[in-house]
Amino acid sequence: MGSGRRIERWCFWVVVWAVLAGLVMPAAQASASLNGLTEARAGELHELLTPDPEAVWRTIPWMTSVLEAQREALEKGRPIFIWAMDGHPLGCV
Amino acid sequence: MLQQDFVPVAINQAFQRRQQDGEGAFYRRIASQGPRGGGDWSQTTQGFYIATPDGELLLYNNNRNPERLRRLMREALEAFAQREPVEADPAEMGERDQRFHPEPPEGGLIVRVHAKVLGGYKPTEDPVRQMFQEALSRDNLWVTAEEQDVLTRDELPETLARRIALYHLIDNTRGEPTMWRPHHIRKLEMTLVGGVLRGSVHLESEGGDTGYEAELFGRVSVEDGRVAGFELAAEGDYWGHTRYTPGCPEGRFPLAVVFRLADGEDAADTIPPQAHGWWGSDYLPR
Repeated sequence: MGSGRRIERWCFWVVVWAVLAGLVMPAAQASASLNGLTEARAGELHELLTPDPEAVWRTIPWMTSVLEAQREALEKGRPIFIWAMDGHPLGCV
Repeated sequence: MLQQDFVPVAINQAFQRRQQDGEGAFYRRIASQGPRGGGDWSQTTQGFYIATPDGELLLYNNNRNPERLRRLMREALEAFAQREPVEADPAEMGERDQRFHPEPPEGGLIVRVHAKVLGGYKPTEDPVRQMFQEALSRDNLWVTAEEQDVLTRDELPETLARRIALYHLIDNTRGEPTMWRPHHIRKLEMTLVGGVLRGSVHLESEGGDTGYEAELFGRVSVEDGRVAGFELAAEGDYWGHTRYTPGCPEGRFPLAVVFRLADGEDAADTIPPQAHGWWGSDYLPR
Protein backbone atom coordinates (compact mmCIF):
# COMPACT_ATOMS: atom_id res chain seq x y z
CA MET A 1 0.00 0.00 0.00
CA GLY A 2 2.79 2.41 1.08
CA SER A 3 4.79 1.39 -1.96
CA GLY A 4 1.81 2.00 -4.24
CA ARG A 5 1.39 5.49 -2.78
CA ARG A 6 5.06 6.25 -3.39
CA ILE A 7 4.79 5.18 -7.02
CA GLU A 8 1.63 7.20 -7.42
CA ARG A 9 3.32 10.28 -5.91
CA TRP A 10 6.39 9.73 -8.10
CA CYS A 11 4.21 9.48 -11.20
CA PHE A 12 2.40 12.67 -10.15
CA TRP A 13 5.66 14.63 -9.88
CA VAL A 14 6.95 13.20 -13.17
CA VAL A 15 3.80 14.45 -14.87
CA VAL A 16 4.08 17.85 -13.16
CA TRP A 17 7.74 18.11 -14.19
CA ALA A 18 6.93 17.12 -17.77
CA VAL A 19 4.13 19.67 -18.01
CA LEU A 20 6.30 22.45 -16.58
CA ALA A 21 9.18 21.48 -18.83
CA GLY A 22 6.84 21.56 -21.79
CA LEU A 23 5.77 25.06 -20.87
CA VAL A 24 9.22 26.39 -20.09
CA MET A 25 11.42 24.77 -22.75
CA PRO A 26 9.91 26.36 -25.86
CA ALA A 27 10.19 29.78 -24.23
CA ALA A 28 13.80 29.09 -23.27
CA GLN A 29 14.60 27.91 -26.80
CA ALA A 30 12.92 30.93 -28.35
CA SER A 31 14.78 33.29 -26.08
CA ALA A 32 18.08 31.54 -26.84
CA SER A 33 17.45 31.97 -30.57
CA LEU A 34 16.92 35.71 -30.07
CA ASN A 35 20.11 36.23 -28.10
CA GLY A 36 22.66 35.43 -30.78
CA LEU A 37 23.80 38.99 -31.43
CA THR A 38 25.07 40.92 -28.42
CA GLU A 39 24.75 44.66 -27.93
CA ALA A 40 28.55 44.94 -27.98
CA ARG A 41 28.78 43.17 -31.35
CA ALA A 42 25.91 45.26 -32.72
CA GLY A 43 27.90 48.36 -31.71
CA GLU A 44 30.97 47.05 -33.54
CA LEU A 45 28.89 46.46 -36.67
CA HIS A 46 27.50 50.00 -36.58
CA GLU A 47 31.05 51.33 -36.39
CA LEU A 48 32.28 49.02 -39.14
CA LEU A 49 29.39 49.88 -41.47
CA THR A 50 29.52 53.66 -41.07
CA PRO A 51 30.47 55.40 -44.34
CA ASP A 52 33.70 57.34 -44.28
CA PRO A 53 32.67 61.00 -44.06
CA GLU A 54 36.02 61.94 -45.63
CA ALA A 55 35.41 59.84 -48.76
CA VAL A 56 35.95 62.15 -51.73
CA TRP A 57 32.72 61.23 -53.55
CA ARG A 58 30.75 62.28 -50.47
CA THR A 59 32.17 65.81 -50.72
CA ILE A 60 30.57 66.27 -54.15
CA PRO A 61 27.33 68.28 -53.97
CA TRP A 62 25.23 65.76 -55.88
CA MET A 63 21.81 66.94 -56.95
CA THR A 64 19.03 64.42 -57.58
CA SER A 65 16.91 66.26 -60.18
CA VAL A 66 18.01 66.85 -63.76
CA LEU A 67 15.79 69.93 -64.02
CA GLU A 68 17.24 71.49 -60.86
CA ALA A 69 20.70 70.74 -62.21
CA GLN A 70 19.77 72.47 -65.47
CA ARG A 71 18.67 75.61 -63.60
CA GLU A 72 21.91 75.72 -61.66
CA ALA A 73 23.95 75.05 -64.80
CA LEU A 74 22.26 78.00 -66.56
CA GLU A 75 22.95 80.26 -63.59
CA LYS A 76 26.57 79.25 -63.20
CA GLY A 77 27.40 78.75 -66.87
CA ARG A 78 28.64 75.22 -66.29
CA PRO A 79 27.95 71.91 -68.05
CA ILE A 80 25.81 69.27 -66.37
CA PHE A 81 27.44 66.02 -65.30
CA ILE A 82 24.84 63.23 -65.06
CA TRP A 83 25.65 59.98 -63.26
CA ALA A 84 22.80 57.79 -64.50
CA MET A 85 22.54 54.24 -63.25
CA ASP A 86 20.14 51.33 -62.87
CA GLY A 87 19.37 51.80 -59.20
CA HIS A 88 20.20 55.11 -57.60
CA PRO A 89 23.95 55.93 -57.52
CA LEU A 90 23.54 57.51 -54.08
CA GLY A 91 21.71 54.45 -52.88
CA CYS A 92 21.58 50.85 -53.91
CA VAL A 93 23.92 49.96 -56.79
CA MET B 1 36.63 69.11 -61.03
CA LEU B 2 33.06 67.91 -60.31
CA GLN B 3 32.74 70.41 -57.46
CA GLN B 4 33.98 73.45 -59.34
CA ASP B 5 33.53 72.95 -63.06
CA PHE B 6 30.29 70.96 -63.39
CA VAL B 7 26.83 70.75 -61.90
CA PRO B 8 26.76 67.11 -60.75
CA VAL B 9 23.51 65.18 -60.62
CA ALA B 10 22.97 61.50 -59.73
CA ILE B 11 19.85 59.69 -60.90
CA ASN B 12 18.25 56.29 -61.20
CA GLN B 13 17.69 56.53 -64.95
CA ALA B 14 15.13 53.70 -64.77
CA PHE B 15 12.84 56.51 -63.58
CA GLN B 16 13.82 59.42 -65.85
CA ARG B 17 13.82 57.44 -69.09
CA ARG B 18 10.19 56.47 -68.45
CA GLN B 19 8.64 59.40 -66.64
CA GLN B 20 6.23 61.54 -68.62
CA ASP B 21 7.01 65.02 -67.32
CA GLY B 22 9.56 67.76 -67.82
CA GLU B 23 12.25 65.95 -65.83
CA GLY B 24 11.91 62.83 -67.97
CA ALA B 25 11.70 64.78 -71.23
CA PHE B 26 14.89 66.75 -70.52
CA TYR B 27 16.79 63.59 -69.58
CA ARG B 28 15.60 61.74 -72.69
CA ARG B 29 16.58 64.73 -74.83
CA ILE B 30 20.15 64.35 -73.59
CA ALA B 31 20.20 60.52 -73.58
CA SER B 32 18.74 60.31 -77.09
CA GLN B 33 21.96 61.84 -78.43
CA GLY B 34 24.03 59.02 -76.90
CA PRO B 35 24.58 55.43 -78.04
CA ARG B 36 21.81 54.14 -75.77
CA GLY B 37 19.21 56.63 -76.91
CA GLY B 38 17.73 54.73 -79.82
CA GLY B 39 14.21 55.44 -78.67
CA ASP B 40 13.50 52.19 -76.83
CA TRP B 41 13.15 53.64 -73.36
CA SER B 42 12.44 50.23 -71.87
CA GLN B 43 16.17 49.57 -72.16
CA THR B 44 18.83 50.92 -69.85
CA THR B 45 20.55 54.20 -70.67
CA GLN B 46 22.98 54.05 -67.76
CA GLY B 47 26.34 55.77 -67.95
CA PHE B 48 27.96 59.17 -67.49
CA TYR B 49 26.63 62.09 -69.53
CA ILE B 50 28.02 65.60 -69.86
CA ALA B 51 25.64 68.09 -71.46
CA THR B 52 25.32 71.81 -71.99
CA PRO B 53 22.65 73.55 -69.89
CA ASP B 54 20.31 73.59 -72.91
CA GLY B 55 20.63 69.84 -73.34
CA GLU B 56 23.27 69.24 -76.01
CA LEU B 57 25.29 66.13 -75.29
CA LEU B 58 29.05 66.69 -75.08
CA LEU B 59 30.07 63.27 -73.77
CA TYR B 60 28.71 59.83 -73.04
CA ASN B 61 30.82 57.23 -71.28
CA ASN B 62 30.09 54.05 -69.38
CA ASN B 63 33.59 53.13 -68.32
CA ARG B 64 34.66 52.64 -64.71
CA ASN B 65 38.29 53.58 -65.36
CA PRO B 66 38.74 56.80 -63.36
CA GLU B 67 41.75 57.98 -65.36
CA ARG B 68 39.93 57.61 -68.64
CA LEU B 69 36.84 59.35 -67.31
CA ARG B 70 38.92 62.22 -65.92
CA ARG B 71 40.59 62.71 -69.32
CA LEU B 72 37.22 62.67 -71.12
CA MET B 73 35.80 65.15 -68.61
CA ARG B 74 38.70 67.55 -69.26
CA GLU B 75 38.12 67.26 -73.01
CA ALA B 76 34.41 67.96 -72.56
CA LEU B 77 35.21 70.99 -70.42
CA GLU B 78 37.53 72.35 -73.11
CA ALA B 79 34.85 71.85 -75.76
CA PHE B 80 32.31 73.62 -73.53
CA ALA B 81 34.66 76.54 -72.88
CA GLN B 82 35.01 77.17 -76.64
CA ARG B 83 31.25 77.62 -77.08
CA GLU B 84 29.21 80.76 -76.84
CA PRO B 85 27.58 81.14 -73.41
CA VAL B 86 24.26 79.32 -73.30
CA GLU B 87 21.14 81.43 -72.98
CA ALA B 88 18.02 79.39 -72.57
CA ASP B 89 14.96 79.17 -70.39
CA PRO B 90 14.99 76.33 -67.91
CA ALA B 91 12.78 73.42 -68.88
CA GLU B 92 9.51 73.20 -67.00
CA MET B 93 8.40 70.20 -64.99
CA GLY B 94 4.78 70.52 -66.10
CA GLU B 95 2.45 68.00 -64.49
CA ARG B 96 4.56 65.68 -62.41
CA ASP B 97 4.40 62.02 -63.32
CA GLN B 98 3.57 60.84 -59.80
CA ARG B 99 4.63 57.27 -60.50
CA PHE B 100 8.21 58.47 -60.41
CA HIS B 101 8.13 60.89 -57.51
CA PRO B 102 7.54 58.65 -54.49
CA GLU B 103 7.45 60.64 -51.26
CA PRO B 104 8.32 59.31 -47.81
CA PRO B 105 5.26 58.59 -45.65
CA GLU B 106 3.96 61.78 -44.06
CA GLY B 107 4.72 61.80 -40.34
CA GLY B 108 6.87 58.69 -40.72
CA LEU B 109 10.58 57.99 -40.45
CA ILE B 110 13.51 57.54 -42.80
CA VAL B 111 16.12 55.06 -41.62
CA ARG B 112 19.50 54.65 -43.32
CA VAL B 113 20.43 51.06 -44.17
CA HIS B 114 23.95 49.83 -44.94
CA ALA B 115 25.05 46.28 -45.79
CA LYS B 116 28.51 44.79 -46.11
CA VAL B 117 29.98 41.38 -46.87
CA LEU B 118 32.40 40.76 -44.01
CA GLY B 119 34.50 38.01 -45.59
CA GLY B 120 34.70 35.01 -47.87
CA TYR B 121 35.90 36.61 -51.10
CA LYS B 122 38.87 35.19 -52.95
CA PRO B 123 41.70 37.76 -53.14
CA THR B 124 41.85 39.62 -56.44
CA GLU B 125 44.04 42.19 -58.15
CA ASP B 126 41.14 43.40 -60.30
CA PRO B 127 40.31 46.91 -59.02
CA VAL B 128 36.65 46.68 -60.05
CA ARG B 129 36.23 43.35 -58.23
CA GLN B 130 38.03 44.83 -55.22
CA MET B 131 35.61 47.75 -55.26
CA PHE B 132 32.62 45.41 -55.15
CA GLN B 133 34.23 43.19 -52.51
CA GLU B 134 34.80 46.15 -50.19
CA ALA B 135 31.50 47.87 -50.99
CA LEU B 136 29.23 49.32 -48.32
CA SER B 137 25.72 49.54 -49.73
CA ARG B 138 23.18 52.26 -48.97
CA ASP B 139 19.40 52.13 -48.97
CA ASN B 140 16.61 53.77 -46.97
CA LEU B 141 13.91 52.13 -44.88
CA TRP B 142 10.62 54.02 -44.78
CA VAL B 143 8.47 53.75 -41.65
CA THR B 144 4.86 54.95 -41.72
CA ALA B 145 3.34 57.33 -39.15
CA GLU B 146 1.11 54.52 -37.88
CA GLU B 147 4.12 52.26 -37.40
CA GLN B 148 5.95 55.02 -35.57
CA ASP B 149 2.99 55.33 -33.20
CA VAL B 150 3.16 51.63 -32.46
CA LEU B 151 6.92 51.85 -31.83
CA THR B 152 6.38 54.62 -29.28
CA ARG B 153 4.20 52.14 -27.33
CA ASP B 154 7.17 49.77 -27.11
CA GLU B 155 5.67 47.39 -29.66
CA LEU B 156 7.03 46.28 -33.00
CA PRO B 157 4.54 46.48 -35.89
CA GLU B 158 4.43 43.25 -37.87
CA THR B 159 4.33 45.23 -41.11
CA LEU B 160 7.64 46.87 -40.20
CA ALA B 161 9.29 43.59 -39.21
CA ARG B 162 8.23 42.06 -42.54
CA ARG B 163 9.42 45.12 -44.51
CA ILE B 164 12.81 44.93 -42.84
CA ALA B 165 13.09 41.22 -43.61
CA LEU B 166 11.76 41.26 -47.17
CA TYR B 167 13.44 44.40 -48.52
CA HIS B 168 16.42 45.24 -46.32
CA LEU B 169 18.03 42.01 -45.05
CA ILE B 170 19.57 41.46 -48.44
CA ASP B 171 22.99 41.49 -50.10
CA ASN B 172 22.85 44.64 -52.24
CA THR B 173 26.60 45.29 -52.19
CA ARG B 174 27.31 44.33 -55.84
CA GLY B 175 24.23 45.66 -57.59
CA GLU B 176 20.46 45.61 -57.59
CA PRO B 177 19.23 42.45 -55.86
CA THR B 178 16.03 40.60 -56.56
CA MET B 179 14.01 41.14 -53.40
CA TRP B 180 12.75 38.35 -51.16
CA ARG B 181 9.14 37.27 -51.62
CA PRO B 182 6.80 36.63 -48.68
CA HIS B 183 7.06 32.86 -49.06
CA HIS B 184 10.84 33.13 -48.69
CA ILE B 185 10.40 33.95 -45.00
CA ARG B 186 11.13 30.65 -43.24
CA LYS B 187 11.45 32.27 -39.82
CA LEU B 188 10.93 35.82 -38.60
CA GLU B 189 11.10 36.47 -34.87
CA MET B 190 11.44 40.07 -33.79
CA THR B 191 10.52 41.57 -30.46
CA LEU B 192 10.66 45.04 -28.94
CA VAL B 193 10.71 45.00 -25.15
CA GLY B 194 11.86 47.90 -23.02
CA GLY B 195 13.25 49.67 -26.06
CA VAL B 196 15.41 46.66 -27.00
CA LEU B 197 14.92 45.00 -30.37
CA ARG B 198 15.94 41.38 -30.69
CA GLY B 199 15.38 39.09 -33.57
CA SER B 200 16.22 36.05 -35.59
CA VAL B 201 15.47 35.51 -39.24
CA HIS B 202 15.78 32.81 -41.86
CA LEU B 203 15.10 33.80 -45.46
CA GLU B 204 15.53 31.35 -48.30
CA SER B 205 14.50 31.19 -51.93
CA GLU B 206 12.39 28.31 -53.27
CA GLY B 207 15.28 26.28 -54.57
CA GLY B 208 17.55 27.19 -51.65
CA ASP B 209 20.02 28.91 -53.99
CA THR B 210 19.91 32.15 -51.97
CA GLY B 211 19.37 32.64 -48.28
CA TYR B 212 20.19 34.56 -45.13
CA GLU B 213 20.15 33.32 -41.56
CA ALA B 214 20.82 36.14 -39.15
CA GLU B 215 20.43 37.43 -35.62
CA LEU B 216 19.40 41.00 -34.86
CA PHE B 217 19.91 43.43 -32.01
CA GLY B 218 18.83 47.04 -31.74
CA ARG B 219 17.39 49.84 -29.67
CA VAL B 220 14.46 52.21 -30.12
CA SER B 221 14.26 55.40 -28.06
CA VAL B 222 11.25 57.68 -27.75
CA GLU B 223 11.08 61.37 -26.87
CA ASP B 224 7.97 63.53 -26.77
CA GLY B 225 5.87 60.84 -28.32
CA ARG B 226 8.13 60.39 -31.33
CA VAL B 227 10.84 57.91 -32.18
CA ALA B 228 14.11 59.75 -31.46
CA GLY B 229 16.45 56.86 -32.09
CA PHE B 230 16.24 53.67 -34.14
CA GLU B 231 19.32 51.47 -34.35
CA LEU B 232 19.35 47.89 -35.48
CA ALA B 233 22.10 45.50 -36.56
CA ALA B 234 21.85 42.12 -38.25
CA GLU B 235 24.64 39.61 -38.72
CA GLY B 236 24.59 36.11 -40.11
CA ASP B 237 25.31 33.71 -42.95
CA TYR B 238 24.27 34.64 -46.47
CA TRP B 239 24.54 32.48 -49.55
CA GLY B 240 23.95 32.91 -53.24
CA HIS B 241 23.27 35.86 -55.53
CA THR B 242 20.57 37.10 -57.86
CA ARG B 243 20.64 38.17 -61.53
CA TYR B 244 22.30 41.54 -61.07
CA THR B 245 24.49 40.73 -58.05
CA PRO B 246 26.93 38.15 -59.40
CA GLY B 247 30.39 37.59 -57.99
CA CYS B 248 29.49 36.69 -54.41
CA PRO B 249 31.79 34.49 -52.31
CA GLU B 250 31.33 30.74 -52.65
CA GLY B 251 29.13 28.95 -50.15
CA ARG B 252 28.04 30.70 -47.00
CA PHE B 253 29.56 34.06 -46.21
CA PRO B 254 29.08 36.61 -43.42
CA LEU B 255 26.82 39.57 -44.18
CA ALA B 256 25.98 42.42 -41.81
CA VAL B 257 23.22 45.01 -42.20
CA VAL B 258 22.82 48.07 -39.98
CA PHE B 259 19.95 50.54 -39.64
CA ARG B 260 20.15 54.03 -38.16
CA LEU B 261 17.60 56.86 -38.09
CA ALA B 262 18.44 59.45 -40.79
CA ASP B 263 19.03 63.07 -39.83
CA GLY B 264 18.28 64.49 -43.29
CA GLU B 265 21.81 65.85 -43.67
CA ASP B 266 22.75 63.41 -46.42
CA ALA B 267 21.47 63.89 -50.00
CA ALA B 268 20.88 60.13 -50.09
CA ASP B 269 18.29 60.46 -47.30
CA THR B 270 15.89 61.70 -49.99
CA ILE B 271 16.24 58.61 -52.19
CA PRO B 272 13.26 56.23 -52.18
CA PRO B 273 13.92 52.68 -50.98
CA GLN B 274 15.20 50.44 -53.75
CA ALA B 275 12.18 48.15 -53.31
CA HIS B 276 9.75 51.06 -53.67
CA GLY B 277 9.90 50.83 -57.41
CA TRP B 278 8.07 52.67 -60.15
CA TRP B 279 6.08 49.51 -60.83
CA GLY B 280 4.04 50.08 -57.66
CA SER B 281 5.41 47.47 -55.34
CA ASP B 282 3.79 46.58 -52.03
CA TYR B 283 6.67 48.13 -50.11
CA LEU B 284 4.30 50.18 -47.94
CA PRO B 285 0.92 48.98 -46.65
CA ARG B 286 -1.83 50.10 -49.03
